[in-house]
Amino acid sequence: MAVLTQKKPTTILEKLNDETWRRKFLRNVIIPWIFIAPLLLLHIYVVTIPAVQGIYMSMTDWKGVGQNANFVGLDNYRELFFEDETFGKALGNNIIWMIFFLTVPFILALFAATMLSQIKRGGMVYRSILFIPYVLASVVTITIWKNLLNPQRGVGAALAEMGIQGFDIAYLGRPETALMSIAFIDNWHFWGFLMILFLAAMQSIPPVLYDAAKIDGANRWDEFRHVTLPGIRPVVLFMFMMVAIWSFLAFDYIFLSTQGGPGGASEVIATLLYKNAFFRFEAGYGAAMGVVISIFAGFIIMIFVTLRRRGWDI
Amino acid sequence: MKTLKILFAIAVLILALAPVGAQDVTTVSMWFSEGSTLDCWGPIMLEFNEIDPSVQLEIVPQADTWNVTRTAVAGGGGPDIVRTPGPSFVYEMAQAGLILPMDAFADEMGWGDFFFDWALDLGLVDGQLYSLSDELETLLLYYNTDVFEMNGWTPPDTMDELNALSEEVAAAGYTVFSHGNASWRPSNEWFVGEYMTQIAGPHNVYKALTGQIPWTDESMVNAIEILDAHMQAGWYGGGIDLYFTNDGATRRAMFADGTAAMNIEGSWAIRSLGEYFGESGQDWDWVPVPSHDGTDYFTIGMGNTSSINANSPHPEVAAQFLTWYFSPATQGKMLTACRKGPAPVSISEEVMGELDPRIARVYSELSEASANDRYGYTTWTFWPPKSDVYIYEEVERVWTGEITVMDYLEGLDEVFAEELAAGDIPPIPTR
Repeated sequence: MAVLTQKKPTTILEKLNDETWRRKFLRNVIIPWIFIAPLLLLHIYVVTIPAVQGIYMSMTDWKGVGQNANFVGLDNYRELFFEDETFGKALGNNIIWMIFFLTVPFILALFAATMLSQIKRGGMVYRSILFIPYVLASVVTITIWKNLLNPQRGVGAALAEMGIQGFDIAYLGRPETALMSIAFIDNWHFWGFLMILFLAAMQSIPPVLYDAAKIDGANRWDEFRHVTLPGIRPVVLFMFMMVAIWSFLAFDYIFLSTQGGPGGASEVIATLLYKNAFFRFEAGYGAAMGVVISIFAGFIIMIFVTLRRRGWDI
Repeated sequence: MKTLKILFAIAVLILALAPVGAQDVTTVSMWFSEGSTLDCWGPIMLEFNEIDPSVQLEIVPQADTWNVTRTAVAGGGGPDIVRTPGPSFVYEMAQAGLILPMDAFADEMGWGDFFFDWALDLGLVDGQLYSLSDELETLLLYYNTDVFEMNGWTPPDTMDELNALSEEVAAAGYTVFSHGNASWRPSNEWFVGEYMTQIAGPHNVYKALTGQIPWTDESMVNAIEILDAHMQAGWYGGGIDLYFTNDGATRRAMFADGTAAMNIEGSWAIRSLGEYFGESGQDWDWVPVPSHDGTDYFTIGMGNTSSINANSPHPEVAAQFLTWYFSPATQGKMLTACRKGPAPVSISEEVMGELDPRIARVYSELSEASANDRYGYTTWTFWPPKSDVYIYEEVERVWTGEITVMDYLEGLDEVFAEELAAGDIPPIPTR
């Protein structure tokens, strides 16, 4: 039996002369690029070019107004890491902030999501109540809590009037409590969001797994450890990565409540960046801080990519 | 059908005339913060449009005006008239060529005739006039007259008297100064600048600003140590932690209701004191902030400045507006109607006569002090930007016990020396 064989084009010229190859190339390569081109161009224009400019500006003494920017090499980075004490302090505060947000809201959200997943009726009411703080504007949340934490008219003052002393202190006005108080406020707004994500993930776990666990004699804790946690692990780990990155971007709650004070006790890199760029006219130096934040974010992403490559279910 | 024809004719007429009208009108723009200030100032500023219909001012309300303006001007846009928060900001914009030198307009329109001599100098950058200063400010010692009368106290004249009185006030259970920086953290700098002027003396501050003596000079150390002692005694806001907690409304309320006896604040506070004291039914007055030797020194500050955008297509019209806006007549009107701090121009006796005597006295005494070498310096007007930020940020570390006064002043000296060497110091009128 004769077999018809068609020679596959190998050289560029052969490929270009081959109708099938041309169609395939158009369909698989050209058309997808045409579809993605507008978005890609927009991304290059609004993200890539400013990012490259930002990196360049971080190596200049640009003041933030006008075009005068002298190239200073890595001077800004040297100053950041070896001379600027406030940067070191701000970085330390960012790390404290990250540790807080990688523990407290996760524990609260996991606990609440587990409890809510058991509720058959009225669960939506609880979910809504716990989620509402997340949709409040930061300025509203801060205003509410600044009043609640006020030692003269807040909760502490009310407790003192009832004879319960010791809580009427200036939480935002003391260096030792300011940062944690703001973290508490931010967490009040944030953890409901985490809870909703975990709850959604829990609801996607097949009920048969729980039934099987029960048959095997598992108690609630065993179910949580061996069924729930493995079932929501991708979501938890992804949020771990995001929260770690967001921790270096913390700005609004801090700036609206203490502006980094008192005495720099709640200063973080983003607030320091803002002050340098807009108050001290050191936009180049501020850009260097921005690049450092990006490097931290990149480092965190790299850890997760590495773990995924090693087979972690992230 | 007839009606249709008439309507058509009117429409054609309107269309034919509209471009002619539009071509004849030149509009200059000014961006202004939204809020109550604009509500009062705006209608008065727009009276400019009635003078000549072919020259119009457009006020564009903006949130976070300064940052929006700076970004827009740097990008080649922005309003024709550029307002900045003070002379040190003008310096940066002038260096970058974003605003125009206005010397020719000043000569042509006679700005020197109504501005105080030293005031025009504040707008100089490398010998050229780039801005006109607005909202003359000074710090005052306000006191609650009801509280003072009830306790038989009299306002102090010297720093020693202030110390003695403050101890008495605190012992009587009052908060000495109604203060807090929760709404505006840079308010720390009011006291640093004021104590330097009143205790170290304005001549020493001048020497330090011109690089003749360091900020670690004994007189400066003494001034900041006294400020720190007042803070540590809990005189400001009722305690350091409360100082960091009290917001603007709280501190005004505690002064007006007699919880606090005094308040060191800028002349801008007069705008809102009436509202708070009106509610409490008590009353207030002011004296100059006491100095070490009893001389009445007044620190001078400027709330903002006006310049002309280098990209403005109509700089001459912008200058025309500035001439009208800074004229003593317009400034007087805004002072009486809105209690706006006037630009440093000579306001007529007649206008001053219409004011609350307490307010009139602020500007007459300030004017007298500036003419008699009794003026001092506010940090936001005369210090360069990095030093200014250092002053209000780092002083908190002194108050929280993290660093010593000497550490603080050594740091200031270092930052200031850098800016002095770079020529970034705003104009300091020679004395």
